Amino acid sequence: MNLLLVSRMDRFARAVSTITRYVEVGRDLGHEVAIFGEQLSEPSVPCSLDVESFDYAIFVVYDASDFPDLPYLARLLDHMPKERRIIIDCLGRYNETIRVEHDFNHLERLDGHQGWEWVEGFQAVSDKVLQPTLSPRREDVTSFLFHAYNPAALSPVRSSAGEAAKAWAGMTDTAKEYGVAYVGNNWQRWTQLRPFLEAVAPLREELGPVCLAGWDWNKQPEWAIEHGLKGADVDPELLEQLGVETRWAIPFDEVIEFVGRSRFCPVFHRPLFRELGLVSNRTFETFCADTIPLLMLPEAFVRQIYGDAALALVPGDDVAGRMEDMMCRPEEYWHAVLETRQHLAEHHSHERRFEHLLGLLDS
Amino acid sequence: MKILFLMEKRHNAGSIHAVANYVRAGDEEGHTVALHGRPDPRLPEIRFSTDLEAFDQFVFIVESGLCWMSALRMPRLLSSVERDRRSILDTDGMYNALVSVDGYDRNHATELDRRSWLEHYDLISDRVFQPTVEPRTQSVRSLLFYGYDPGSTAREEHKSEKRFDIVHLAHNWWRWREIDSLVLPALEQIRPSLDGIRFIGSWWNGSPPPASDPRLAAAFQADPALLERLGIRVEPPVPYTDVIPSMSQGRINLMSQRPLLRHLKLLTSKYFEVFCADTVPLLLMEADQAEAVYGPAGRHLALDDSVGEKILDVLARPDSYREIVETVRCHLEEHHSYRQRIRELVTTLEASAADRQFMSGSR
Repeated sequence: MNLLLVSRMDRFARAVSTITRYVEVGRDLGHEVAIFGEQLSEPSVPCSLDVESFDYAIFVVYDASDFPDLPYLARLLDHMPKERRIIIDCLGRYNETIRVEHDFNHLERLDGHQGWEWVEGFQAVSDKVLQPTLSPRREDVTSFLFHAYNPAALSPVRSSAGEAAKAWAGMTDTAKEYGVAYVGNNWQRWTQLRPFLEAVAPLREELGPVCLAGWDWNKQPEWAIEHGLKGADVDPELLEQLGVETRWAIPFDEVIEFVGRSRFCPVFHRPLFRELGLVSNRTFETFCADTIPLLMLPEAFVRQIYGDAALALVPGDDVAGRMEDMMCRPEEYWHAVLETRQHLAEHHSHERRFEHLLGLLDS
Repeated sequence: MKILFLMEKRHNAGSIHAVANYVRAGDEEGHTVALHGRPDPRLPEIRFSTDLEAFDQFVFIVESGLCWMSALRMPRLLSSVERDRRSILDTDGMYNALVSVDGYDRNHATELDRRSWLEHYDLISDRVFQPTVEPRTQSVRSLLFYGYDPGSTAREEHKSEKRFDIVHLAHNWWRWREIDSLVLPALEQIRPSLDGIRFIGSWWNGSPPPASDPRLAAAFQADPALLERLGIRVEPPVPYTDVIPSMSQGRINLMSQRPLLRHLKLLTSKYFEVFCADTVPLLLMEADQAEAVYGPAGRHLALDDSVGEKILDVLARPDSYREIVETVRCHLEEHHSYRQRIRELVTTLEASAADRQFMSGSR
C-alpha cells in the first residue's frame, strides 16, 4: 500500500515524531509512506507531489494550515478521489465547538474559522474522519489513536527494575541533570503546570533542578496578548521564585534523550484533550525515556491506555508525597514503568497502529 | 439572480460596506445577494448564507490577501460550485503585470509572488473583474462595483456637529509618503488657522500589524511624533457602519488612496462614502480622474499642490463648496448608484454565462 501523509511538518511540534515513525514502520512492513510536498531537508523523510502514485491521502490535521494551500490543494483534490482521502483529526476539530477552561477546538479570532467551517471543510475533503480518542463524540468519526509507543526508541534499555532504579538514583550512572523536566510548548498547560510546580517546590533540595522546555515559557507571547487568549498564560516571576529553568523547544528527535536526563517527567493533557480523551505523541513517547513518568491524568484514562500497572504512576492529589515515596522506593515504581512499557509495546506499538490504519482503509 | 459574495470578513476595512449596499440594492432590484458565512453581529446589515446550492453566481472579492481562501474553506467551494459560476473581483489590481509606483507601492514584491497569486486566481476562475474603467490586462473585464448610496447621504438638513476641521479616514497602508510629502507640510503652514484634525484608521502609530511581512515595512511607515506635534489626533478604525457618521464630524474630509490603486485608476468604497458624509471632500487625485468619476464639478475638489490654500478656501466659503458637493452627489446618483451597480453586475454575469454557453456549444 502506498500512503501519502498530508500535514505541515514542524520539528518542534505536532505530529512530526509520529509521522516520521509511520514512514519507517510502513517501510518495514513493506509499504511506501511519503509526505505530500516538495522534498524537505529536515526531517529526512521521503516527500512526493506525485499524488496519483499513492493509494490513499491521509490528512493529519491540527490547524487549517495542515491542508496545503492552492495550488497544491487542487492537485490533491483533483488527483485523489474523495473516497481515498482520510482525515486524522488530532485536535477534535470535527465536533461542535467545545470550551474547557481557556481551551477550545475552534476559535475564529485566532484562525479566522468558525466551528461550522471545520465540520463542512472536513466533509468536503473526506467521508472518513479518524480521531485519536477511544471515544469519539460524533457517530461519523472512527476511533484511531494514531500516536504510538516505540520500544526501539528506549534509551537506554533497562533489563530489570532494580537496574533501572539504581541507575536512576545515580548509583551506577551519572546523576540526573534535572529532578523534573517537562517538554511541551506553552499552550493550554499552565493551569495544570502551575499547581504541579508549586507542589514540588518543597522537594527542590532533594529533587534537583526543574526545567520547562518549549515555546514561550519565559513570557506570554505577543500573539496571545493581542488575541486576548489565556491559553498561553505563564508567570515568569513565579518560575523564577521557584527556581524553574526555562529553555526553548527541543527538536522532536532529541526529546527522548532530553527527558531521560531528568528523574521525573510529568505527562499532562491539555483541557481539551482531557475532555475528548485525545492522546498525543507525548502520551506514549514519555515512556521511551529513562525517567519515571508522572501521569497527571484521570485514572480511568490511565487504566484504558496504559494498563493497571501504570496506576502507581498517577500521583493523584498528593504529588509531592508520591514523588517522595518514589525517591524512597524507586525499584517498586520502576516495576510499574517497565510493566507499562510492556503493555504499551503489546497494545500500542506503531506496528499495531499501522495495521489498524490499513484495516480502516480497507473497510 | 442570486449572487453569493465570498471575501475576507473585515468589519472596518475593504469592501464590506459595498457588500452591505449590494444586499440592499439587490433586494430593491429583485435580486438576492448574500455573503458567504453565518450571521455576524458586527455586520448587522449583511445577509449571510452557507447554502451553496441556493445561488446562481459566486463572486470572490479579493483584496490584499489570499489567506482567507484557506485550504479548510476552499475544498467545499471548489467541489460544490462549478468553475463557470465563479468570478473574481480583483480590487487591488493584483491580476496585472508587476506594477511598481515610483519604487514605493507595488502590487507584488516579486515576479514569483505575482505568479503564485495569479495561479490562485486561475484555479478559481478565468473570469476576473477590476473596479476600473480601463483594466490593463486584456483578459480582465471592467466592473466598477463600488457605488453611491443616496439613501445613506447625510444631507445638510441633518447637520452633524462638526468636531474637527479636517478628518482623514483611512488605514496607513502605503499612504505615508503622500501624507508626509504633500499633506503634512501644508497643514503645518496653516495649522494656527485650523481647529481639530483627526486621522482615523490603523497603523498611524507606527506599529505594523504583528507578524506582518518585513517586506511590507514601507507600507506601514509613519511618524507618530510628527502627527502629535501637528496636533493631529489619531484614533483607531471604525466599523463600516460608522464610517459616514465619523466622516461627518469633519468640515473637510481628505480622501486619499494608496498610490498603486490611484495609478491603476481603481475605485474603492471610499470614493463614494465620502460623498455620503456631511462634509466637503477634498480629493488627493488628479483632476481628470476626479472629473471622470464625479463629473465636471469633481475637478473643483481635486487637490493639486496648493493643499493649504484649498483647505482655507473651503473653511472660508463653505456654502460654495456645499453647492459643488451637491452637484457631485447628483452626478453620482445618476451614474453610480448601487441600484445601477447591481444591474451592471447582473448583466455582466449573465453575459459571461451566455459567452460560455456559446463557447461550449460551438465546440
